Amino acid sequence: MGLGGFGDPRPKRSHNPDKHGLFSNASGWKSLITFTVLALAWISGFASRLFAVIRFESIIHEFDPWFNYRSTAYMVQHGFYNFLNWFDERAWYPLGRIVGGTVYPGLMITSGSIHYVLHSLNIPVNIRDICVFLAPVFSGLTAISTYLLTKEIWSSGAGLFAACFIAIVPGYISRSVAGSYDNEGIAIFALQITYFLWVRSVKTGSIFWACLTALSYFYMVSAWGGYVFIINLIPLHVFVLLLMGRYSSRLFTSYTTFYIMGLIMSMQIPFVGFQPIRTSEHMAASGVFALMMALSFLKYVQTILTKAEMRYFYMVAVVGAGGLVFLTVVLLTYAGIIAPWSGRFYSLWDTGYAKIHIPIIASVSEHQPTTWFSFFFDLHILVTTFPVGLWYCIKSINDERVFIILYAVSAVYFAGVMVRLMLTLTPVVCVLSGIAFSHLLGLYLKEEENPSSPDSDSEDDGSSEKSSRNLYDKAGKLRRMRHEQMRESDGLGSNVRGIVVMAMLMMLMMFAVHCTWVTGNAYSSPSIVLASYGQDGSRQILDDFREAYYWLSQNTHSDARVMSWWDYGYQIAGMANRTTLVDNNTWNNSHIALVGKAMSSNESEAYKIMTSLDVDYVLVIFGGVIGYSGDDINKFLWMVRIAEGEHPKDIRESDYFTERGEFRVDSEGTPTLLNCLMYKLSYYRFGEFRMDYRSTPGFDRTRNVVIGNKNFDLTYLEEAYTTEHWLVRIYRVKKPDEFNRPRIPLSERKVKRSKIFITKKTNKRRKGTIKNKPTVVKGKKPTKAA
Amino acid sequence: MKLLGLIFVFIYGILLIQQTDGQRSRKEGGQTSSLNERVQQLIEMSNKRSLMRFNGNKFRDFVKATPRNYSVVVMFTALAPQRQCSICRHAHDEFHILANSFRYAHMTSSRLFFAMVDFDEGSDIFQMMRLNTAPVFIHFPPKGKPKAADTLDIQRVGFSADAIGKWISERTDVAIRIFRPPNYSGTMACVLLIVLVATFFYVRRNNLDFMYNKTGWGLMALLFCFTMVSGQMWNHIRGPPFVHKTSSGGVAYIHGSSQGQFVLETYIVFFLNAAVTLGMILITEGAANRGDVKKRRIVVILGLGLFVVFFSLILSIFRGKAHGYPYSFLFK
Repeated sequence: MGLGGFGDPRPKRSHNPDKHGLFSNASGWKSLITFTVLALAWISGFASRLFAVIRFESIIHEFDPWFNYRSTAYMVQHGFYNFLNWFDERAWYPLGRIVGGTVYPGLMITSGSIHYVLHSLNIPVNIRDICVFLAPVFSGLTAISTYLLTKEIWSSGAGLFAACFIAIVPGYISRSVAGSYDNEGIAIFALQITYFLWVRSVKTGSIFWACLTALSYFYMVSAWGGYVFIINLIPLHVFVLLLMGRYSSRLFTSYTTFYIMGLIMSMQIPFVGFQPIRTSEHMAASGVFALMMALSFLKYVQTILTKAEMRYFYMVAVVGAGGLVFLTVVLLTYAGIIAPWSGRFYSLWDTGYAKIHIPIIASVSEHQPTTWFSFFFDLHILVTTFPVGLWYCIKSINDERVFIILYAVSAVYFAGVMVRLMLTLTPVVCVLSGIAFSHLLGLYLKEEENPSSPDSDSEDDGSSEKSSRNLYDKAGKLRRMRHEQMRESDGLGSNVRGIVVMAMLMMLMMFAVHCTWVTGNAYSSPSIVLASYGQDGSRQILDDFREAYYWLSQNTHSDARVMSWWDYGYQIAGMANRTTLVDNNTWNNSHIALVGKAMSSNESEAYKIMTSLDVDYVLVIFGGVIGYSGDDINKFLWMVRIAEGEHPKDIRESDYFTERGEFRVDSEGTPTLLNCLMYKLSYYRFGEFRMDYRSTPGFDRTRNVVIGNKNFDLTYLEEAYTTEHWLVRIYRVKKPDEFNRPRIPLSERKVKRSKIFITKKTNKRRKGTIKNKPTVVKGKKPTKAA
Repeated sequence: MKLLGLIFVFIYGILLIQQTDGQRSRKEGGQTSSLNERVQQLIEMSNKRSLMRFNGNKFRDFVKATPRNYSVVVMFTALAPQRQCSICRHAHDEFHILANSFRYAHMTSSRLFFAMVDFDEGSDIFQMMRLNTAPVFIHFPPKGKPKAADTLDIQRVGFSADAIGKWISERTDVAIRIFRPPNYSGTMACVLLIVLVATFFYVRRNNLDFMYNKTGWGLMALLFCFTMVSGQMWNHIRGPPFVHKTSSGGVAYIHGSSQGQFVLETYIVFFLNAAVTLGMILITEGAANRGDVKKRRIVVILGLGLFVVFFSLILSIFRGKAHGYPYSFLFK
């Protein structure tokens, strides 16, 4: 394959074999099969991501996608430059948010340009549908780029395996089902294509490929914050190659070109700005760049100096350069020019850091460490086979395999620390497992054609296995292997071979079935529309979220401020189009802590905060009626913790625990908990509610207890709307003149009672009087008492 | 080094006790000392030693005496070696760090004092407080008697300096920033390791072939992968129990839900993963190598057995944890 050997030529070549005999033209076969397998991988990957659309509807999922959708819609409506300058006054009231400068715009630009192209072709597609189907479409591109990467590293057979794996593996599907319109959906494609181009450019040493690498890196930077992974992994690759003594002019060309171009281009993204030259996360890349320069200089000097001079010079130069780079970084860090590691990255190294210091990071379930269960759940058999691929890559190492090894080792570490980073591990696992399976099956299937042992049995195996694998579109790649592999004499026997091949196919089939099951059951819920299944299998749709947001959009003033916990900020802004106080872009911890404080204080304290923030409505999620576990009471401890971080005087976590250290909402719960705003808003009027005649009133199905504080009234708020299944409850905050002012005990009254109760009643006049009371005489028009 | 420090502290403590005893005997003439005097004494004592060591008399003088305007946090402990209380030693270290941090930040504060009572010096106090375990941390507020919440719940929050500090700031509104004395042991170990590796390289500088040993590197990489994939990082961060003792007396090796895991469980998974991988490598090697066909055939069958059996085992464990997972292979 030459320079242009990837991408477009494939479909063209696939037509060739049809003309001249199929069996005579091996490369024609090869292209046809490659093309077919990739196309099928794309289609099946696309199809298996459609569970949510088929079961529910074409709808944007979860939380962040709502913001992405909203800003995409804004960009399509107002144009790109207006989008970059967009100041969103509906978020983070009263602060607002500069959206253009605080998002990775790659996602919006991608779908916006698709929308533009389709519309200029007079294909009227709603932007929402583009957003919904963007991630499944890109999964096909990811499969192709994975194929290309694996082909560069091992063989194209392994590439086809890897492409099929990544098309259906749950670890990637979890972030790319239809409707999950998030950065990761396109970022994994950008990641894989960047890695492919990088490996290609290291292999060829051409500036052309290095420029393409930088370009796709630019796309990655514009799409996802995970670009930091690339800008550390590629320098690491270069560094390790240097350590291994594999310095070459190819490496020099590709890295320097990539680094400079990538650096300049990445700084064009407003959100990234000057970070690439100012933060520690990016310093490894520039350090390696300096090292590369020094090394190539040395190589140059080596050609001039004699050997003895060289040795002396070498020592001085190495020590000097190393010390200089280190000192510069340390000095710049101390001077404050280079920012130290940001908390999110720091928590990757010091794993206990986030738990202690940054509750807002620790509170997000995606930032939790990963159990072995999640690994197996997301990768199934690949979790056990990718070490095999790793083993063979190490056994027969070369420049580009060093890359995949480093990728695997670093990604597996990050995935262990954070569930969310399973996403970066998944592609490399697919690549390495592809290598493992391809290597194994290549060895076992090539023997079929061995003329020294022609037996029809193995041929049968081949065809039956082919038909079985047609079921999950991995057809043909084994055939190709047969052609490629050199024939070697052996004598394992057709039975052993057949059994091994069957077992492998069995495993692969289980993998495919597992993937479908996991995708259908775990990763295809839109999470804003819930479904519950009755005992007879009938399905009931709980559409409470949209009901509530629609109510908000129809029944409240258009600039009403809605207070909710930050999880629901994007949805309120996206669906109800109302101003929110905090949202999922958790950039301002103290603001979030203020909302947390309001939720965890008692009603009157909360009212002070709410009036200071101009809150009109409060929205809480309550799952006690239907047993929805992701509700606000279950998240409540995080609110308390975050509030305590900023207001340690007023909020104390231990106040919300019982003596025995339990968090309970029943009658044994602490009074602080039973009287805080969140409790009251969740359980208002719940004490009278009973599910059916047998159940006790006020029984919380999520926590399986009868609530502790049943009959209470709200003073400062009134219930505005509660959805059908009580999932979302909206309260209106009363204006100061509306609520019944609470009775102040006598002892605390500023104005003494004795003054008020000086009565005009005397012995003569027993009747009470009202000041300025018009005197009414019967039969006469009331006259104003002037 | 540590021993020397301990001996020094011990001697110092004895000196201090004698000295303060002397002071006290002077005071005893004028019956119970006034509040100001007591505060003055406490400040003096705690400036000398941030964690004061009380015996029965001092405890009654400073902690139990009624007019107080200061809080005292007392650790009741048993440090003597024959008591064999290893937790006490840890707790003492942590408490000492906390007391030092507080003294360092508030040199002349008279709001809060730290003290400890050793069982062997003041067993009468233990009786008085009705304590039969150690260590116990009790906060004595300026007014009134300690309530239930004035005893640190070690079971729940532990006794790390941060946890005690948080508890104290809850009880007394005094926030303490913990200054841990920089721990040089980690750095020293690092330096030592680097020096060792460097000398090793220097000694073997003419024969660095082992660096090119791919099997070694491969094993290292694989071990690392298995470690991560079997959830050791989760163990490291969450610190789950090794196994779970069920109420019926049995031992559960596998956590019942998908949210958690036990340490032993992760070791099992580590082993199973490694076995499956080994099986697959054996299968491949059996076909790739040349040589005795019989041997290779055995290798292949063995590999296949490992691969299939252990994968089915993982799958069945997985199935036990994922409720409602429909697929299994060989084992239910």
